[in-house]
Amino acid sequence: MTKIDVYSGFLGAGKTTLIRKMIAEGYGTQKLVLIENEFGEIGIDGGFLQEAGIEIREMNSGCICCSLVGDFGKALEQVISQYAPDRVIIEPSGVGKLSDVIAAVKKVTNDQVQLGYTVAVADAGKCKVYMRNFGEFYNNQIETASTIVLSRTDSISQEKLDTAVNLIREHNSVATLVTTPWNQLTGGQLVEAMEHKQTLADELARLELQRLAEEEEHEEGHCCHHHDHEEEEHEGHCCHHHDHEEEEHEGHCCHHHDHEEEEHEGHCHHHDHEEEDHEGHCHHHDHEHEEHHHEHDGEGHCCHHDHEGHHHHHHADEVFTSWGVETPRKFTKESIHAALEELEGGEMGTVLRAKGIVAAEDGTWIHFDYVPGEVDIRTGGAAVIGRLCVIGAKLDEKAIAGLFGV
Amino acid sequence: MPIPVYVFTGFLDAGKTKFIQETLEDPRFNAGERTLLLVFEEGEEEYDLSAFPKKNVYQEVLDQDTVTTQQLLALQKKYKAQRVVAELNGMKLVGDLYRRFPEGWAVAQEVMFADASTILQYNANMRNLVVDKLSGCEMVVFNRVAPGGDTMPLHKLARAVNRRVDILYESTDGRSAYDDVQDPLPFDVNAPVIEIHDPDYGLWYRDVSEEPEKYAGKTVRFKGQVARLRRDREGIFAPGRFVMTCCVEDIQFCGIPCKYPEASKLKARSWVTVTAKISAEKHSLYKGELGPILTALSVEPAQPPQEEVVTF
Repeated sequence: MTKIDVYSGFLGAGKTTLIRKMIAEGYGTQKLVLIENEFGEIGIDGGFLQEAGIEIREMNSGCICCSLVGDFGKALEQVISQYAPDRVIIEPSGVGKLSDVIAAVKKVTNDQVQLGYTVAVADAGKCKVYMRNFGEFYNNQIETASTIVLSRTDSISQEKLDTAVNLIREHNSVATLVTTPWNQLTGGQLVEAMEHKQTLADELARLELQRLAEEEEHEEGHCCHHHDHEEEEHEGHCCHHHDHEEEEHEGHCCHHHDHEEEEHEGHCHHHDHEEEDHEGHCHHHDHEHEEHHHEHDGEGHCCHHDHEGHHHHHHADEVFTSWGVETPRKFTKESIHAALEELEGGEMGTVLRAKGIVAAEDGTWIHFDYVPGEVDIRTGGAAVIGRLCVIGAKLDEKAIAGLFGV
Repeated sequence: MPIPVYVFTGFLDAGKTKFIQETLEDPRFNAGERTLLLVFEEGEEEYDLSAFPKKNVYQEVLDQDTVTTQQLLALQKKYKAQRVVAELNGMKLVGDLYRRFPEGWAVAQEVMFADASTILQYNANMRNLVVDKLSGCEMVVFNRVAPGGDTMPLHKLARAVNRRVDILYESTDGRSAYDDVQDPLPFDVNAPVIEIHDPDYGLWYRDVSEEPEKYAGKTVRFKGQVARLRRDREGIFAPGRFVMTCCVEDIQFCGIPCKYPEASKLKARSWVTVTAKISAEKHSLYKGELGPILTALSVEPAQPPQEEVVTF
């Protein structure tokens, strides 16, 4: 099986640096072939590649406009048959559309060759002007990618970073977004991001399962009901997601099941997209959420997918809701502590659980868990983006968002 | 009285806005003419209209892809503009906008700005856009040059595209210097017969196209492929070469009309060595402008050159 990964991004965004990091830390022992169609400032030097046992192919025949026609497909098929790699990494020209590259890749996919990660690397400080002036090809990279990795997030102001995140979310509300400076992340974390593991949805689902598990401990006698829950628990977070999907696109169970399976293999992206394009459901839903929040505090949030799902599906009678955001903002342990104390007060609803992993102002990362009467705030490892999750009843989301300043 | 248009091209962050701002603040360049400032690219820098000594600058932000001649004319009238200063979008082709300029507008000057730290990389990846800006400008300003840094790659970049462009280097320590490197042409323009070696055809083609009068009355010998003109086929053909600017997509045939009584006997696309006298004439191909016209002295069959496609 060969997976074909595409790393798009404008010149100077940092594609080569990211690919280097992925080769050094993320791809492990997989057999790799690299196809470059960009003439970068920092080339991925031959020595480094030889050491790693990587074949490199340069498509010098011209810019992406012509190399995508004909030659590209042939070159791709040739390297796959010649080297039988686990991964083909494509670094296309920075001024090409990602959707064009994906379309070209799809012409050679079959049982044994599949589209892998579709990544857009974007310089966080330049998102705004690039979007404003470059038009189509740039937005196409952002809109088409299933993972968006921001670069140089530590060399710009928080305000500018927030703007970049909001703009990106306006164009793509579903992609996994990485805002943490790369030197704080391991290749493994980047792989997880590209495979869409550890999403906000997963986080919320896990928190919900913890709550259910606790509920079980407390109440006994609802056997059947509990049984159900346990099953859910065993299946882990995908179950939740699955339910959610079913709800949104009623009657497409089987289809969605496929989709889920695919997702775990890490190439759900195009599938996802097509579905969205056709049904327009998920996406639209997300968007409404964003706008909703936008009104509240002028800050665009992302990735709120599951809230509604929870709401309707799980326990309409129990009125538990969950709230979650992704944020590149920075906090202090003190500010988190103060926020959790506010939550404890009950004015923003009955909070049953809260959890977060967020960047700290001092460059470390803060992990926290909260259940009523119990606050645990500690220093921990970095995540690809900060996340805050709250589960409870009658949550005043606007107030909670305000509390965390997101 | 045509409206002079001062055009500033280059990629984002190349320093266009800053330069225009400073120029319009300078009373030597701003004596109070009503100036329409057209902004087709909004970068990090923004204009400070209040800093202009006279309240005579009227800014309009426009989309370079969609702006129409009517819109431009309407703006000119609205502000009673006496001149236009335009900051263009680096990702678009300059000519596409020029074609939409109103009839009374005349480009007075086109200046390109380029960040020395990124332009070579841009050139490697989007050569067509770099060539587009370089080929039409009268001056290119390479800024952010590292003090003591090697400017030769920049010189070569600019010169290979535009032999007559003025090149200015501005280094990060605030110094600036004009490029004074001489680039002799790889052929002797004063030889009794100017011999063009196969790889130099692109250079010669451009030079003779730009300055046909310099070659008037001279004799040239080069190898090229036979092409027929679409109209005016009697006693004339167009020997030339396929020239690539950026990549295979932009390969064009660059030929020069050549009077030759036996023209109709020549096989299209066959290789010939042409010896011909050059004159500068108006021809329909040049849309009424002066251009080079050859009169064949001899046309001999030839072997194809090593590289059939040439570059500039």
